[in-house]
Amino acid sequence: MTELAIRGLSKRFGDVAAVDGFELRIGDHELISLLGPSGCGKTTTLRCIAGFESPTAGRILFDDRDVVGLPPERRNIGMVFQNYALFPHMTVRQNLAFGLEMRGVSKGEIGQRIARVLETVQLGDLGERYPRQLSGGQQQRIALARAMVVEPSILLLDEPLANLDAKLREEMRFFVRSLQKRVGITTVYVTHDQAEAMVISDRIVVMFDGRIHQVGAPDEIYSRPVSREVANFIGLSNFVDGRVLGAGDNGEFRLETQVGTLRCAYSETLAEGREVALIVRPEAIVLSGAAPADSAGSAGNAIAGRVSERYFLGNITGYRIACADGLVLQVQDDPWAGFGVGDEVWCTFDAAHAWIIPD
Amino acid sequence: MTNSVEVPAAGGASASGPARKGWNPTLFLVFPTVGLLAAFLVFPYLNMVVMSFRNPSTSQVFAPGFTLGNYLDALLDTDLYYLEILLDTMVLGAATTAICLVLGFPVAYHLARTSSRFKSVLYAFVLSPLLVGVVVRCYGWIIILGNNDGLINTTLMDLGIIESPLALMYNTFGVSVGLVHIFLPFMILPLLGAIQSIDPALEEAAQSLGASRFRTMLRVVFPLSLPGVQAGTVLVFVLTISSYVIPILLGGFSVMIMPTLVVQQLMDAMLWPFGAALAFILSIAGALVVYVYFRLTSRAIRGIA
Repeated sequence: MTELAIRGLSKRFGDVAAVDGFELRIGDHELISLLGPSGCGKTTTLRCIAGFESPTAGRILFDDRDVVGLPPERRNIGMVFQNYALFPHMTVRQNLAFGLEMRGVSKGEIGQRIARVLETVQLGDLGERYPRQLSGGQQQRIALARAMVVEPSILLLDEPLANLDAKLREEMRFFVRSLQKRVGITTVYVTHDQAEAMVISDRIVVMFDGRIHQVGAPDEIYSRPVSREVANFIGLSNFVDGRVLGAGDNGEFRLETQVGTLRCAYSETLAEGREVALIVRPEAIVLSGAAPADSAGSAGNAIAGRVSERYFLGNITGYRIACADGLVLQVQDDPWAGFGVGDEVWCTFDAAHAWIIPD
Repeated sequence: MTNSVEVPAAGGASASGPARKGWNPTLFLVFPTVGLLAAFLVFPYLNMVVMSFRNPSTSQVFAPGFTLGNYLDALLDTDLYYLEILLDTMVLGAATTAICLVLGFPVAYHLARTSSRFKSVLYAFVLSPLLVGVVVRCYGWIIILGNNDGLINTTLMDLGIIESPLALMYNTFGVSVGLVHIFLPFMILPLLGAIQSIDPALEEAAQSLGASRFRTMLRVVFPLSLPGVQAGTVLVFVLTISSYVIPILLGGFSVMIMPTLVVQQLMDAMLWPFGAALAFILSIAGALVVYVYFRLTSRAIRGIA
């Protein structure tokens, strides 16, 4: 299996830097997602790894072997395209055989390997069909099988589930994930769908405007985002601007904000008086009708406000809470919480559930 | 050129015949076209069919009575003179078509895939042979290819590379050059359409699976462009075997092909019944070749959606 290292990768199209200074090591067996809005450079990065684009600067190493000078056909990659790109004039079997024929694998072995991979993607009886005779989900799995049957060093997936309907997309996430784990192939997965990235990835690389903002495990990206962009792109966030008053106990900081002093966890050091933003996720906030008894001195934060909107989403109920000084907090509470529009409420959250973004 | 337009129409009609359902008033809109074709194509053709069975005459256009003699004279000639000319015509057609395909495919592929801002200029270049009249173009080639005072021969002789002029005109070479030049757009345009409809991701998929550029072309692009290849080759073939002006101007009478022969019989020898028979032999032979070709290639195309 193969380790992938990308060092200082940049790709410019004219004056536009599509990818700028991309640095990453992807370990053996690891599945990495490149996540970001369209135009953030995630697809360009993938295409550089595949060899369809040549980088303006930087190196791409497969197990310490620089592949930048190699054409795609000599990189031993497997790639799955957004529209699957199955050859329409070939049957499923011929599609699967294509990469093996290019590698000079013997006829007998091609037959065996195709049978095995069709078994793996649970489409054993569709070998003689043409791609147009398959459903979207089946085409998707054949595309995956075609990329994997050649036993590539690196598997590259470019929004492979984007063309499926929502239900099937969710099923396929788990399918792709378990298949990748079973085969243990180093994988780079491009998506703009944060939920997909969360489910599928060992680590997520969040990109904006050609730059990496954050690399980390899904829970780390979600609960400890490094920038407003990351926090906004992944999940819903409340931002409360404030100034650092000083460090408290257990790696907490006290912030002076428009709604009073708030306490917040943070792992780095922050100078006193620094302007920062506190971020707290809507589901970390608990609503209560009465002021919490020990709001001062404990690990909790409490902000008073009034319910301005309420919407029922089935598994949760969403609220918008108007607080002092024009601050509006988004809150997600359990669906049985009985607050109505106009109710006076207290928004409480634990310091450990909040995070600081140094602006 | 009217003669050349008819053959693909006949070939196309036999290949596709969608079932008609009910009477649609908008069908009135096809009447002008149908009327024109009937008046200037079908009736003259029927007239020619009848003419080809008439008895020849030395003093009139034809003599009374009907005969198979014109066809028998053409087909059973002991020197095989007419059949040889027919074969030469088909070979010229096939060769021109093959050269157009080989030259046209890379151009069509490039045009289909380029993102250059000069794309429209490239299109204009492709169409340029059609923008100048056929006679003017041929005189252009005569200036270049001329056997004694042509540009190529005088240049090569002035440079001392050759002693005596090369035979570039009044032979099959000169005719082929002229035909390829003029019919190349008819090959490129259908190919262009076919290649444009091929998803570029398919080529990338092939490369990602280990296929070189050449093998990608061979295994993916070419098979998927077969509908365009079929259309382009049939067009160029029928245009070539029915071309008259180019072979006459660039080949003189030393390159004898069926259209030249037919005009000779009709206009110079005034042998209308025999000329008509020759014209029909050409039409039927051409239609047969196209039909067989269509059958063979359609089988290869069937796999493509």
